[in-house]
Amino acid sequence: MEENEEPVDNDFEDFEEDDASRDVVVPGEVLTEDVKNFLPGRGTILNKEKNKIISLNIGLKQIKKNYINVIPLRGFYTPRPGDKVIALVVDKNPVKYKCDINSKDFGQLKPKNTIKRGRTRGFRGGDVDREETGTERFDIGDILIVKVLSADRLNKPELTTVGKYLGKKSGGIVITIDPPKIPRVIGRNGSMIKMLKSLTGCNIFVTQNGRIWLKGEDIAHERLLIESIHKIASEAHTVGLTDRMQEFIINEKKKRGIE
Amino acid sequence: MPLIIKDEYPKKLFREDGKRLDGRSEKELRPIKMEVGVIQNADGSAYLEWGNNKIYAAVYGPREVHPHHLAKPDRGVLRVFYRMATFSVFDRKRPAPGRREKEISMIVADCIEPVLFLELYPGTSFEVFIEVLDADGGTRCASTTVAALALADAGIPMKSLVSAVAVGKIDGKKVVDLSGIEDKAGDADLPIAITWYNEEVSLLQFDGDMDLSEMNDFLSDAKEALESIHKTQLNVLKSKYLKLQEETKTNKEKESKKGDE
Repeated sequence: MEENEEPVDNDFEDFEEDDASRDVVVPGEVLTEDVKNFLPGRGTILNKEKNKIISLNIGLKQIKKNYINVIPLRGFYTPRPGDKVIALVVDKNPVKYKCDINSKDFGQLKPKNTIKRGRTRGFRGGDVDREETGTERFDIGDILIVKVLSADRLNKPELTTVGKYLGKKSGGIVITIDPPKIPRVIGRNGSMIKMLKSLTGCNIFVTQNGRIWLKGEDIAHERLLIESIHKIASEAHTVGLTDRMQEFIINEKKKRGIE
Repeated sequence: MPLIIKDEYPKKLFREDGKRLDGRSEKELRPIKMEVGVIQNADGSAYLEWGNNKIYAAVYGPREVHPHHLAKPDRGVLRVFYRMATFSVFDRKRPAPGRREKEISMIVADCIEPVLFLELYPGTSFEVFIEVLDADGGTRCASTTVAALALADAGIPMKSLVSAVAVGKIDGKKVVDLSGIEDKAGDADLPIAITWYNEEVSLLQFDGDMDLSEMNDFLSDAKEALESIHKTQLNVLKSKYLKLQEETKTNKEKESKKGDE
């Protein structure tokens, strides 16, 4: 699995560098009083008199067409169907695995959602191997890459390991950053993540719940990569980040004497 | 025989030069210092120094409710835990939460709840832990202010921040932001909290005696003080990010200048 190029999610439209006016706003701040020309978008609300649009989050103000959005700088992960996330198995019983996916609820992974595809169960004329159920077995403490099958406000999210790039990950390091800053680590059309991969020679898998799996050739490169990711997270709201990070990594490589 | 020290308050709460005992004028607030992101393992946190009050607040959530029977199927719950350290007051405070702590926990929760969207997070809880390290009057107002700040720092959607201040009457004069001794020896004490979304009063408690006709004056005095507190809150939340933004901007300018040369 590691050799494959991981797909870059083009779902992230946040943190566009060009037209986003990078004003930091805080909850309750009036974004505009011009309600005729603007509509409240994501992270905003109209006040009771409907003459002001106010911000709900601490974040960056963004104007897109006639919508005013606030891109949060801090927050928590809310699972959505289709998300690929890194999960940690925290409990198991015959019916399901309980997985920590860094959200308010634990995800549920049922054995029927772990069935290996494309495997023959016995051959023609032969006995079916009764022991082999076709489901994958996991242990408590395993790191899995899973897809969210269903998630809503009321029920616990259901997960699956059936699919490309999904399943158990062995080796490597998992780090966690603030989930709203994940789009910045990926960059526009994956520019940031491509740069990180090529400069540090590490394998990275970025998921939307704020967890990042990485594995490099040696610990020095991995350490540099982790530092860079934390730097990206702390400077997520600034302009021209990709260029600055490139410079930073090249300088640090020279300083540390790794190549 | 235990030694009993009677609380002794000064007879006059104003100095000869017309200022209050700590040198403030009547409508002056104590110096306020705030900070966010002070506790690493919390989802959001804030620290407040308001005069001699020193208060930490940490926010966790949304997360599962423990004990589970407190969870509500249609909405989230906001739980506030206000605690005072044993060394925060003159006599050692017994560490078990008493009647006063439970009351203040409740009022802080009730006064912040209107600005949160709890209906979006059914079956979960947001937990705010407030630890008073040093107390000198007006801790319920300070706690409300710092709890709102910590919630905003955690990235929880809020309609607005909440600020609180106490106004009151000492020696027959209307004053803003009562200190510990003024609270005990004064005539009246009126803590007020405001939600800036629509500017509604979220907390109004009263203790002491005053004329009802003075109420309007008190409220307008409080509004003025609250506005300045709100300004500090906003600045503190923003400054963390603005500082970095400006640093990178100046670096960029320097580089472009170098390139021109």
